[in-house]
Amino acid sequence: MSISLHAIASHLALRAGRVLQFLWSGWAGLAAICLLAAIWQAGHETYGPFILTSPLETLRVIGHLVADPKAWSIASLTLQRALTGFLLVAGTGSVIGIAAGYSPASMRLVTPLITVLMGVPPIAWIVLAMIWFGGSDATVRTVILVSALPVVFLGAARGITTRDRLLDRMAEAFGAGPIRRFLTIGLRQTTTTLFPALALALGTSFKVAVMAELLANAGGIGGALADARVNLDIAQALAWVVIAVILLIAVEYTLVQPVKSEIDRWRHAAQPWGVKR
Amino acid sequence: MSVLSLKNVSHAYLGRTILDGIDLDVACGEIVALVGPSGCGKSTLAHIAAGLTEPKSGRITRTYKRHAMVFQDPALMPWATAAGNIDYGLRLAGMGRAARQEYVMAAAAQVALVPDDMEKFPIELSGGMRQRVAIARALAVKPEFIFFDEPFTALDVALRRRMQNLVMDICIDGRLSGLFITHDLYEAARVAHRIAVLDTRGNGVLGMRTMAGTPAQRSDAAIFDWVQTALEQDTAFRHIHDVDERQLA
Ligand SMILES: Nc1ncnc2c1ncn2[C@@H]1O[C@H](COP(=O)(O)OP(=O)(O)O)[C@@H](O)[C@H]1O
Ligand SMILES: [Mg+2]
Repeated sequence: MSISLHAIASHLALRAGRVLQFLWSGWAGLAAICLLAAIWQAGHETYGPFILTSPLETLRVIGHLVADPKAWSIASLTLQRALTGFLLVAGTGSVIGIAAGYSPASMRLVTPLITVLMGVPPIAWIVLAMIWFGGSDATVRTVILVSALPVVFLGAARGITTRDRLLDRMAEAFGAGPIRRFLTIGLRQTTTTLFPALALALGTSFKVAVMAELLANAGGIGGALADARVNLDIAQALAWVVIAVILLIAVEYTLVQPVKSEIDRWRHAAQPWGVKR
Repeated sequence: MSVLSLKNVSHAYLGRTILDGIDLDVACGEIVALVGPSGCGKSTLAHIAAGLTEPKSGRITRTYKRHAMVFQDPALMPWATAAGNIDYGLRLAGMGRAARQEYVMAAAAQVALVPDDMEKFPIELSGGMRQRVAIARALAVKPEFIFFDEPFTALDVALRRRMQNLVMDICIDGRLSGLFITHDLYEAARVAHRIAVLDTRGNGVLGMRTMAGTPAQRSDAAIFDWVQTALEQDTAFRHIHDVDERQLA
């Protein structure tokens, strides 16, 4: 009884510590945002409202947009496209990368293809996808897939190729077949390199989604930005940029960070309190 | 009755013969030490005996139900706590959660790990504690046979002694058999019932020496004398300290 109480208490302390850590990083983020706003304001005062609207004015426009249900559907369209595109690239890239990591022959085959893929500018893919799919979700998803695939692939493949083979041996000695070895040892080791790659791919997904929407005239935040450009409405354009960034940050902190802190729990265990950030 | 028996086993890596004509028997409740210079094929032989490596030829008979292995490197999963690591073999065996917890606790107690250690990650543990966890992981599956592959080579002298005591305590009730690989003759003379000497080139077992009494009864003085005599007079041990770095894997 006392042991379990103790365990619960230490568990709670651990979680509380992590929340505090999180708030602390939020504090630092707030300071960074204030700094950015100050520079923005300085730019506004130098160049005037037609080049750069003030941060407060932009906030006011965001307030209007928040009250407008149409704006919500625009933002959620982009969010939906970015997330589905991200899931598509995460799934595809991980599967191909892991397979290549285990099989040196296919690694040799796929690596040049990935290099080619990295060499093609995203804009070229947007043109191709527009021709193939028009201004639809599929266009945006395709562009996300090809732009973020190399980074996910390399992250997954590197995780497998740099895995600790001793652990594989150990698992084998305890009677684990190839599949159990992969599920219990290989997959978990991949996260070390796959996870940063996925976080990067998520950012790429949002940026590419907005870009593809703008160029393919496919609605969403990119479409709204195109409208703002036509109307020379700088406040509107800046407001949408801020909203896109807020969406990315929201997804990052609800999806990426919790998983990351759970995966990296053992790394933090070795750090003394003062070093934890 | 022997629980593990190797008959005329040979093996080659990339055409280079590592082991040739190896015969070895381990009786029930017996610890056999396998000694030989580094690179002579001890690990390879253990892997063959455990079924991890397919031998080029020869016959292996195992009559025990379940085995476990302890390596020179603890080979712990860094992302799992000590408890999670000890649990690994049980999870692979598909055992229920409650039963597993019980087995983990029992194995931890055998190697003197306290509940506080169990929630720590390997990175937070010292080398000796990690090796304890590795031994507990092997014990947790309630094996009848344990392969020790130079398990204490990386530990300092005092710690190594403690770990040897641990192995002797575990094996004292005679239900556990094992193959204990080491290149330290003192270690072999301490923990084993019999000592097999592997030839430098892997050409068979050069000699098999039976130690007097059980490991637990043996005094340090007796062990010291035995090792000195063996090194001076027994031709089987002549090349035991030869090291050819080029041969090391
Ligand atoms: N996977 C492998 N491929 C090729 N050669 C190997 C491999 N594993 C071990 N060897 C070689 O086999 C010999 C015996 O190795 P090993 O069994 O590890 O020796 P020991 O455990 O006695 O030090 C060494 O010369 C080593 O270089
Ligand atoms: Mg070895």
